[in-house]
This record gives sequence, structure tokens and C-alpha cells, in this order.
Amino acid sequence: VVVFMKGSPAQPLCGFSNAVVQILRLHGVEDYRAHDVLQDPDLRQGIKNYSNWPTIPQVYLNGEFVGGCDILLQMHQNGDLVEELKKLGIRSALLDAEKDKEKK
Amino acid sequence: PQTSPLSCSPSPMRGPLLAAAGGAMGGAGGPLARTIRAKLTAALQPTHLEVRDDSPRHGGPPGAETHFGVLVVSGLFAGLPLLQRHRLVHEALRAELAGPLHALQVIARTPEQWQSDPRAPPAPPCLGGSKRDKRRG
Repeated sequence: VVVFMKGSPAQPLCGFSNAVVQILRLHGVEDYRAHDVLQDPDLRQGIKNYSNWPTIPQVYLNGEFVGGCDILLQMHQNGDLVEELKKLGIRSALLDAEKDKEKK
Repeated sequence: PQTSPLSCSPSPMRGPLLAAAGGAMGGAGGPLARTIRAKLTAALQPTHLEVRDDSPRHGGPPGAETHFGVLVVSGLFAGLPLLQRHRLVHEALRAELAGPLHALQVIARTPEQWQSDPRAPPAPPCLGGSKRDKRRG
């Protein structure tokens, strides 16, 4: 999981970047590479050229560009994110949350 | 589950995207809003289209027109994954995104999806963004 964002996961500097951080956190994904484009204008433009995507944040799973915060939010809501994380060998924390619910 | 935006009886012109803006948008919007609307209409032939200027929520002065949200419902999205749908929207607004349009929230649905779920999430709140970038020149 790699994220290009404004600010850092500890301190996002943009509401859209923060949304990505929060969604990943919900799934228990906190150990990922995050690049702060505000630290490097060349990176900021370069990553937009690379993915042919005009805005930040940008989320990459297994080296493949997945989308920005809107797409990540929709993937989270429709269950696709859990599946994509599974493909990477990451077990979403939400699956455990569901199991806990069922136990009660 | 996401919370629906406040909307008791939406008028035909104001769907959930605009309702969530809380009346911050007045009239048809500024020139960029009209351009966005025209380009998306031409490119995607939407059955439903909402264009929301979020710039006031990001610290811009009135009329800044830098941050927008669009809700596009179009049959052209059928069979396309989200990434491709968003790329179509970006393609239509390529010139604007290279220029004044700084951020764009996109919700892209087919008419069938829109019918079964006519709600739109609000944009995330601003957290300062580039205004905190000391190196910005």
C-alpha cells in the first residue's frame, strides 16, 4: 500500500488526504509508505504525470494505481477494499470487527 | 453506513450533492461552474448532473472556484470500473484541471445505480492543504 498525500498519516494537511488515512486506519492498515507531496513540488507534479491523474491523494495497491479518495471511499463502502487488501495478504480489521459482532 | 445529507423535499434542481452544500451555492454558480457543467454535459450526456463549488469551504474568497464536487449520472458509465469513470470525467475537464481547478470530488453512477441509491456523501472538511506549504512559490 502506497499513498501520495498532502501531509503525513500522523498529520494530514488536506481533508481528502485525511479521508484516505482514516479509511485505511479503519481496515487496520497503518504500516504503509506515505509520500508528502507538499515537501517536493517535483514529486507533486511527477506523480500526477505518472498516473495521469490530476489530483492528490493517490492510492496505489501493489504498485497499481487505484484512485483517489472518492474511489477509496466507494471501495470501502461496497466491500471491494476488503477484497483488494486480501489479495495483498492484508486481513482487514473490519473482518475481525464483524467476527466480534457475530460472537455477541 | 453514511449519513444522508439533509433534504426533506428536494426540488428538481437541487439534488443531494447541492443540498449537502447547505445553500452555499447561489444561482447557476460562477463561470467555472458553468464551464464544468457544459463540458460534462457535452462529454457524458448525463441524465442527472450536479456541480458544487466547494471553494468557500477551503478558505478561498467568494467566487474562488478552485474546489468542486460533481455528481454525474450517465449511461456511458455502464460496465466501467470506477477508475475509468473518473478518468472520463477528468478527460472532459482536462484544461480546467491543468489550470484553476485544484480539487475535484467525483461521484459517477449509472442511471440504475442512481435510482437505487440517490444519495451523495459530502466532501471531507478542509485541513489547510497547500496553504501550509512554506515552499510554495
